[in-house]
Amino acid sequence: MPQIRTAYFGELDYTDGTVFQFPYGLPGFEREHAFVFLQQPHTQPLLFLQSLGSSHLCFILLPILVADANYRVNLDAEDLAALHLAPGRQPRIGEDILCAAIVSAGDGERGPTANLMAPVVVNLKEQIGMQVIQTDSPYSHRQPILAGEELAPCS
Amino acid sequence: MKRRAGESFTIGDEIEVEVLEVAGSRVKLGIVAPESIAIVRKEARVTREENITAARPMDPEAIAALVHHLWRPAKTQP
Repeated sequence: MPQIRTAYFGELDYTDGTVFQFPYGLPGFEREHAFVFLQQPHTQPLLFLQSLGSSHLCFILLPILVADANYRVNLDAEDLAALHLAPGRQPRIGEDILCAAIVSAGDGERGPTANLMAPVVVNLKEQIGMQVIQTDSPYSHRQPILAGEELAPCS
Repeated sequence: MKRRAGESFTIGDEIEVEVLEVAGSRVKLGIVAPESIAIVRKEARVTREENITAARPMDPEAIAALVHHLWRPAKTQP
């Protein structure tokens, strides 16, 4: 069984059937075409999008409906074709597609944020993914995850 | 500056922007620029920069704190 060195979880076994193809990579990482999704019980509900080619490259993703239960993704005809999804109708999150936002750790002043303007969308059946940049999105590329709350030490 | 369809303007000596079409709230632009200048939608540029930031390894403690927060039950509505 092939092994992969991961950024967060050491060495893991994987099978070819668990590999997702990203034909265009991700903006800024156009040469990264193959990823696996990792999940660990202690990091639920986060998903880890680990590059197969670069062990140090792993994006942390937040399922979009966890970020906002009312989120609607809008895929145009080109997006649907690129993802090998049926034309003419929007796919259902959780059934046809996985839709998740890339998390950024932020810095001292800015807490963690998620890019809800450009979610990662994956065709679950065909295992093809891409980052879909939404035009006219009401969401920010830096949507705070810890909305309205301050990080305070546990009392 | 106000421009109508068919009119154009320049930025410096090498870049020309022409308003090709105005339809409702959408404006179609034609841009002539040297090959060395990348022309991308702002959302794409912002996402590229955000991805590069997000790709930096996140501290395990920060991940644990984030998970902890996500599991915290939502505050009950009064």
